[in-house]
Amino acid sequence: MKFENYHPVINFIYFLFILLAVVTFNHPVYAMIAFITAFAYSIKLNGRRAVIFNLILIPCVFLYGLWYSFYNHFGITNIGKNFIGNNMTLESLCYGIVRGMMAAAFIMVFSGMLTVMSTDKVIYLVGRIFPKVSLFISIFLRSFSRVRDRCKKTNISRMGIGMGMRQGNIFHAIRNFFRIVSIVITWTLEDYIESAASMKCRGYTLKGRTAFSIYRFDNRDRSVVIMFSVGIIITLMAYALGQTNIMYDPEIIIYKPTIWAYFFYTIYAVLCLLPMMLELFNEAVYNRLSRCQ
Amino acid sequence: MVHFEIKGLSFSYPNSEKKALDNINLTIKKGEYITICGRSGSGKTTLLKHLKKPITPSGKRTGEILFDGAPLEEMDLKTQASAIGYVMQNPDNQIVTDKVWHELAFGLESLGCDTNTIRLKVAEMASYFGIQDWFHKNVNELSGGQKQLLNLASIMAMQPQVLICDEPTSQLDPIAASDFLQTIKKINLELGTTIIMTEHRLEEVFHASDRVVVMEEGKIIACGEPKTVGEELKKQNNKMVAALPTPMQIYYGVGSSLQCPITVREGRSWLDDMLSDKKLKRDRLPEQDSQDINEQAPAIFAKELWYRYGKNDKDVLKGASVLVPKGSLYAIVGGNGTGKSTFLKSICGICRPYSGKVKIDGKNITKYKSEELFRNCLALLPQDPQSLFVKKTVREELLEMAAGQNQESDVMAMAEKCELTPLLDRHPYDISGGEQQRTALAKVLLAKPKILLMDEPTKGMDNFFKQEFARILKELKDITILMVSHDIEFCAKYADYVSMFFDGGIITTNTARRFFSGNSFYTTSANRMSRHMFANAVTEEDVIELCRENL
Repeated sequence: MKFENYHPVINFIYFLFILLAVVTFNHPVYAMIAFITAFAYSIKLNGRRAVIFNLILIPCVFLYGLWYSFYNHFGITNIGKNFIGNNMTLESLCYGIVRGMMAAAFIMVFSGMLTVMSTDKVIYLVGRIFPKVSLFISIFLRSFSRVRDRCKKTNISRMGIGMGMRQGNIFHAIRNFFRIVSIVITWTLEDYIESAASMKCRGYTLKGRTAFSIYRFDNRDRSVVIMFSVGIIITLMAYALGQTNIMYDPEIIIYKPTIWAYFFYTIYAVLCLLPMMLELFNEAVYNRLSRCQ
Repeated sequence: MVHFEIKGLSFSYPNSEKKALDNINLTIKKGEYITICGRSGSGKTTLLKHLKKPITPSGKRTGEILFDGAPLEEMDLKTQASAIGYVMQNPDNQIVTDKVWHELAFGLESLGCDTNTIRLKVAEMASYFGIQDWFHKNVNELSGGQKQLLNLASIMAMQPQVLICDEPTSQLDPIAASDFLQTIKKINLELGTTIIMTEHRLEEVFHASDRVVVMEEGKIIACGEPKTVGEELKKQNNKMVAALPTPMQIYYGVGSSLQCPITVREGRSWLDDMLSDKKLKRDRLPEQDSQDINEQAPAIFAKELWYRYGKNDKDVLKGASVLVPKGSLYAIVGGNGTGKSTFLKSICGICRPYSGKVKIDGKNITKYKSEELFRNCLALLPQDPQSLFVKKTVREELLEMAAGQNQESDVMAMAEKCELTPLLDRHPYDISGGEQQRTALAKVLLAKPKILLMDEPTKGMDNFFKQEFARILKELKDITILMVSHDIEFCAKYADYVSMFFDGGIITTNTARRFFSGNSFYTTSANRMSRHMFANAVTEEDVIELCRENL
C-alpha cells in the first residue's frame, strides 16, 4: 500500500507537520535527521530523478553555509578571514550549514509532497472546507481543457481557409489571431448555454446539495492517524522541553544528550520515515506472499 | 399504464407567428420505446423540451401535458430531476465536471444523497455500463462515444422512469452510435425505462422502437408501429419516405404485396420471396468504363506520407499515398482513429509529414507559400462549422472571405448556390446544424479553391440535408473534392472513387460501385441486402432498378 493511497487528509497532515518541523527545529541532530529521512523518502517516491537532484543539493548545503558565514559575523570563535577581510566565525558557519540542511530538507519534502498530493486531493481538501469551491474548481478544470482544445481546432479550421494564426503578413496574422480568440469566446459561451441546461436537468438548482468524494476513511487510515498523533505529540513535547532548538549566538551550546534526548530523536526519525516504512513493510509482505505462490 | 399524456399542445416561440408545435396529441405508455422522426426544424426537439420542465422554452403555449396522471408543471423539481432523464445531442457540452467519477455523482449530489448511497449507485452504474476501466480518468481523455455513454450513465444513476434522448448519436461515428443505441435498447428491455428518442439514423432505431412518430411543421403526420408508419407515409406520398431504412425504401420503390421489411435480414428474405420463382434476367448493372485512375491528371498526389504527432508517439500515417484525379469527388472511408483526418491535414500542409511528398496541381507543396496555397488553390472544410464563424450575420460571414471588386455579387451568387439567400441576415448560431454546414461550405468556396478538402462533412446532417449538400457538391464540376467520411451510404451514392483507410495508409481504391460491391461487411445496407441476388447493386436506386427489371 502506497502512502499516496491513504486518505488525503492523512497525506496532508503528514506533509504539513514535517514541513513545519523542518523549518522550526534548528538542533543539528534534528536537522540531520530531517535531511537524511527526506533524502531517502524523496528517492523512494521519485526514483532516479530524485537521486541526481538530491546529490546536487549536498554541495549546495555547504556552499550556503560558507556564503552565510561570509556575511554574518556573530559568535565568538574566530576561524579566520575571508578575502574581503571580514572575520569568519565557527558559530555562523555551523548555523549556515544547519540552515542549508533545513532548506534542502524542505525542498526534498516538498518535492515528495508534489508527488503525493495530486490535484484531485487538493480539490478534495478544499472541498471539505468550502464544498461549492471544489465543484467550481472541477468545472473550471473541465472548461479549461475544452477551451484549449477548441483553440487548437479553431486555428486548424482557420488555417484551412488561409486565415490561421501564422498565415499572411504580420498585420494579417494579428487580425487572424484576434478573430480566432473571438470565435473561441463566442463558441464557448454558446456551448455554456447547453452545459447550464444539462446542469439544470440534473437538479443543480435544488437545495441541499452534497459533495461526493471517492476517498474513504478506513481502519488503516485510523491506525496511521493514531501513529501520527503519538509521534506528533511526543515531538511537540520535545519542542516544549527545548530539545529541538539550540543557541548559536554568541556561542554554540549543546547539552550532552540524555536518554530522553535519544528517545525524542528516535521518535522524530520514525515519524519522518513513517510513510516510507509503511510502503517498505507492505512491499515486503507483498514479496513474501508472491514467493509463496 | 400511461406515462405521458400530451393533450392538444400548441406552442410558438416569442416573436414568431409560426407554430413550432401545432395541436400535438400523444399518449406514451410506461416502458414504451418511442422514436420521433422528421426533418430538422419539424419541432421534434421543441416537443422533447416540453417534457422536461427546466429546459422548456418560453413562448405562447396552449394544451397540457400530464405525467403519471398529474400535470407536469405541478411536479416538484426534485422528483422531475430524477424521474425524467434528458440526454442531449452534443456529448461534450453536457459534461460539467473534469472527472468521470464526479460526473457520475453529479446528479446524485444535487438530490442530496449521502456519500454511501452515491458510492453504491455510482458503482452500480459503472458496472452496468462497463465504464469501470475509465472510472478515474479525466473526461477529456475519453472518445466521443465514451463521453456520450458517460452522459447516459450519469443520468441513469438517478434512476429515471423516462429517458428522453435528443439525437444522441448525431455527433458519433457509426460504431459508437450503434453501441449507444444498443445500450438504450438494453435499458428499455432490462429496466423497463420508457424511452422517447429523436434520431436520424432510422436504420438503427426503427426495428427497436415500439412506435414511431413522424412530425412535419409542428404536427404529427403519422404515428404507429414502424411498419404501419411506412405505409402511412407512402399513402401521403410524403418526402419522409426518403429517410426510412433502406429495406423499406426499396420495398416502397419496387411496390410489392408482401410484408414490408424493416431490417436487412427481413429485406433479404423479402427479395428471396419475391424473386424466388423467377429466373433473373439481369443481375448486374453496367459498369461505367472509367479510365484507370493512375493515368488521369492528378489534382492531389501524395506519396508515402509518414507522420506522428509527438517525437515519442506512434506513427499515425504509415506510408499513406493517394492520387486524386482532377474534377473527381474522391472519398476516403475507414474506422475511427485510423488517421484519416490526419491524412487530410497532411495533404494541405497543416500537419507536416516527416517523410514523403505531396504535390498539389503538379507542384510540390513545400514550394507554395502558405497564403498562395490557401488562396484560389486549396481549402479545407472543417468538421465543426462553428470554428469558422466570426461575424454577426451569415452575410458578413460570407463577405469576410470574398475579396476583390465584385464582393457583393460573388456572395449573392454563392448564397444562391448553397440555398442561403433567405438566411443571409440571421446569426450563424441561430440556424440549424445542416444550414451551418452549408454556410461553412459557402464560406470555404468563396476562397475559390480548385481543390476542396472536407472532413466528415455529413456529420449530424439528416437525409434531406445530405441530399441538398450532395446536389451542391455535384454542381461544383470544376472543383476536385477529397472527403474523409464515416458515412458509407453518402459515399456510395455520390463519390466517384472510394478508398479504404486503415492502419495509417490506404488499403484499396476503386470506383464507388466496384469498391462497395467488393466488400461484404463495410458496405451499404442496400448492398448487404441484395448481394445474394445482384452482383453490384450498391444504392437503393440500384436495387429498385434491378428488381423492377426482373419482376
